[in-house]
Amino acid sequence: MNLPDYPPRFDSQMVRPYWDALERGEMRLPACSVCGAWQWYPFAFIRCHAEASLEWKSVPRKGTVFTFTTVHRGFLPNAEPKLQPYVAALVELDGISGVRIPTVIINSAGPRIGMRVRLAPQKRSTYTLPAFEPDRGGG
Amino acid sequence: MTPRFAIVGVGETEFKRGHPLGLDALVVQAARRAITDSGLSAGQIDGIVTSDSHPPHDEIALAVGMASRRFSAISPLIPGAGPVAAIVQAQLAIDAGLASSVLVTYGTQTSSPGGPYAYHAADPLKADLEMPVGYYGQPLYFAAIAQRYKHEYGLEPEQLGSLAVAQRQWASMTPGAQKPVPISMQEYLHAPYVAEPLRNLDCCLISDGAAAYIVTSLERARDLPRKPAVIAGVAAGSNPWTLTEMFTQSPRFLDIGPGDAGRRALEQAEVALQDVDFAEIYDCFTMSIVLQLESLGFCAPGEGGSFVAGGRTGPGGSLPINTHGGHLSHAYIPGITHVVEAVRQLRGERGRAQVEGAQVGLVSVFGGPDHATLILTADR
Repeated sequence: MNLPDYPPRFDSQMVRPYWDALERGEMRLPACSVCGAWQWYPFAFIRCHAEASLEWKSVPRKGTVFTFTTVHRGFLPNAEPKLQPYVAALVELDGISGVRIPTVIINSAGPRIGMRVRLAPQKRSTYTLPAFEPDRGGG
Repeated sequence: MTPRFAIVGVGETEFKRGHPLGLDALVVQAARRAITDSGLSAGQIDGIVTSDSHPPHDEIALAVGMASRRFSAISPLIPGAGPVAAIVQAQLAIDAGLASSVLVTYGTQTSSPGGPYAYHAADPLKADLEMPVGYYGQPLYFAAIAQRYKHEYGLEPEQLGSLAVAQRQWASMTPGAQKPVPISMQEYLHAPYVAEPLRNLDCCLISDGAAAYIVTSLERARDLPRKPAVIAGVAAGSNPWTLTEMFTQSPRFLDIGPGDAGRRALEQAEVALQDVDFAEIYDCFTMSIVLQLESLGFCAPGEGGSFVAGGRTGPGGSLPINTHGGHLSHAYIPGITHVVEAVRQLRGERGRAQVEGAQVGLVSVFGGPDHATLILTADR
């Protein structure tokens, strides 16, 4: 299986803390500084409280596959048209409601919806990709 | 409600991947053909609604010979919704006495560099959160939706295949369709995956081209040479999330509309779903037809797959859908080519692809969270 390598452009300055945390092998997500509601994606304005700011908080590394698709054709501008398939997915983290992490599932022969997964950050050219792999229990 | 407006002229360009004409020339060509088809002179068209800021209104108006441009607007809803929601603006302008006949245009060139995907790459949050993990490209978005649907309700390859096969049949009877050669279910089932469970035959085409139509009062329409397509109901709406979030964070992941807009359009038209003789349903992918049919109430959530199976939507089926081949097989000029086809069916101009006794047509379109439903009828 190959992995996409397409660095964030940082067009949105709001996402820096997400990628910085992944460099350190952690996952952090933004929450409203007033009520604590998760703000994902991090838009420039907070919907629940006008005067709030974003607070980045550490979140659990384990979750569940919400949906996935095995991708056979490359759409990224730098992808080969015929690529080794990869599994794109959305993962819901334990205890974090209303948030789905766009990701790639690795080390799985048969991904399925509802599968338990854990964060497995993967180094790419200039960034760390927040991949997930099957969680077979343990640490 | 007693209908007061009609579509009186339709026009389209040749559709192909890699068209030699630029977008300006394509839109102007489609607009000229719509005006000629309407029986109005260009000088009688005094309003314009486009679905994109390019080409600009002034260029289109002068090129087609509009003498006076009294009303100009852009429908900001995302195509395919915009080119149908434009009717709402055209009706308001005519109703308020701001214009008497309104030209609606939309053209696109998805074969240009970056393809149809570039639209999403321009979104800063998608570029920063989704592209780095390869969550990119509309086929992938709808494959993830189809996979979730399959998990919740079940979905067989032959169900989506039935739509793909039916639309190639319709395209084979449609002059100018980009894919006029029919396919078998076996061919569908052996077609390569793009993003599972979607195959290349589940995906819309790459097209360059444009289409246009004219909206005027029903009173004026009745004096023109061709049969009017009566606007019996039209409604636009939107779901409560942004385009940025829709394909990953939507709390109703399988809801692409039209929901309430569909009900409002049917109510205005005083038409029940069982009165609908044919439907043109926005088909960026086969899967999007299944979801809209459920949202419109043709079947219950989870029943869309079995509803479309077995050729129901093809020639001779009980609910003909995308009777020109749709965006899968005719051309992908989002939304507007569905309006053109519905008008032609109601005029009885479709030759071998004519739906017998076509009196009521439904058009359902969406783009991101935006959607629109149009009910057109023959003049009664």
